[in-house]
Amino acid sequence: MERGYWIRSKPVYTSLLWHEKATSHLIVAQGQGGMAVLKLLQLMHPKQPITVLYTPQSDADYSKTLLKVVPEGLHILDTEEKILQKLDSTLHTLYMGMRLYIAGSEDFMWTVAKVANKFGIEDAGMMKELTGTLARPIYCVHCKAITHDVTTNIGKCSGCGRMLFVRDHFSRHLGAYMGLMVDAESPGDLPEIEEIYP
Amino acid sequence: MSMIDVKVAAVEQVTPLVKHFTFVRQDGLAFPAFSGGSHVVVSMNVGGRVFRNPYSLMGSPADTSAYHISVRKQEHSRGGSLFMHESIEVGSSLQITYPVNLFALAKKAHKHILIAGGIGITPFMSQLFDLHRLNANFELHYAYRSPEHGAFADQLKASYGSQLRCYTDSQGGRIDLLALLSKQPLGTHVYVCGPNPMVVAVIETAKNLGWPDNTIHSEQFLSPGVGEPFKIHLKKSEIEVHVPADMSMLEAIELAGVEADYLCRGGVCGRCEVDVLESDGALLHHDHFLTDAEKASGKKIMPCVSRARCQKLVLDL
Ligand code: FES
Repeated sequence: MERGYWIRSKPVYTSLLWHEKATSHLIVAQGQGGMAVLKLLQLMHPKQPITVLYTPQSDADYSKTLLKVVPEGLHILDTEEKILQKLDSTLHTLYMGMRLYIAGSEDFMWTVAKVANKFGIEDAGMMKELTGTLARPIYCVHCKAITHDVTTNIGKCSGCGRMLFVRDHFSRHLGAYMGLMVDAESPGDLPEIEEIYP
Repeated sequence: MSMIDVKVAAVEQVTPLVKHFTFVRQDGLAFPAFSGGSHVVVSMNVGGRVFRNPYSLMGSPADTSAYHISVRKQEHSRGGSLFMHESIEVGSSLQITYPVNLFALAKKAHKHILIAGGIGITPFMSQLFDLHRLNANFELHYAYRSPEHGAFADQLKASYGSQLRCYTDSQGGRIDLLALLSKQPLGTHVYVCGPNPMVVAVIETAKNLGWPDNTIHSEQFLSPGVGEPFKIHLKKSEIEVHVPADMSMLEAIELAGVEADYLCRGGVCGRCEVDVLESDGALLHHDHFLTDAEKASGKKIMPCVSRARCQKLVLDL
């Protein structure tokens, strides 16, 4: 990418930090994101009620430590699907003033964001920390399918099988980066495929 | 700035202090459509001196045959509202700007809490049409001094009954903001328009509870207070302009024949911002637009409401 050039649509992630002003805190984390939760709790145990939804991954499981450290409201669930269900039912019980924190892969964070969006929570109201991997969700501009966890500069579309060049343009609505067919001009003529989002 | 010539089609005394004016176009055409919360700036020629005051449009946004505004007589006003009350009658001619919306409803909100104090009800009047049409979930909390000052309260009760709560100060009615804002479902947005202490209280309460900034909306046009006279130098136009005690910098600049941008003329929109190139005294910032840091830097000023106390002030105009 051109130096000094910054794509506006590209989300900026930070480290999780407590919102001082809040009525309650809801933290949703996946795999390595468990470390972000631990870091957060190192900073402070807030006086408002907290809920932590965590799904461990085979290569990153902080369940044991979280069980020791999280004072209340910890739910460890083994699949993303269960986490999203729990998130949905939890959001039903919370009021304005709830602060949402998310830690995990981009794919995970934007999947969580989509559930929160349904409750009228906008992106500006969520804090996100990218952990574990730079793997990108890609949506194919040709067939609209979303391919998850793409770690290379060029990835194969899970929908139509086209080879897609992974752009930096991000759609918050879809929660994915744009993928454009790379060999449209001369089919089969592919640049070298390299892992750049490990 | 392009203006629309209007004629006053009706005037109604709504409360002892509030008058409602209906405008139609001089050229008989339809008005531009607008969205709830929009305002226009009404230009009045008061004995040769031009006043331009912002007023919220309060009719139905779907009705383009007439525009409606309400004006509260300001006891200590410099003249604009007094002129509207005392000199404008059916058949009078005025000029207005095209509508601008600085207080729009959040489209993605799941619920809207509207909080009005006194004449602050006006921007909500048009928003209510939109909310009603969209079948949106909303509540209106309307506070006023005493029963006779509750402008449009009866009309609102008839139209929105259970979604409306009125608070009459003289009868001890107070909005319990903490209770109101503590138990709102996710996706709620709050809107406030009214006197300064009320606006500040709503914003503070919501923020302290942890409502995200983008869910808190307020509108509060300031009027360009009176102050000491001072002089400014306009660099690009190469002229000196005297700002009298009862005129804003923006008015004085316009009077000198220099075109300056504006939208709200009340220190909130940011459109009139100008760069201060030089100054040897204090800038008296009255606006709600610049950040504290920008105000302290002394490099920018909002001429619609702010003033200065200095011998020399050079503006990039
Ligand atoms: S005109 Fe809006 S801030 Fe001055």
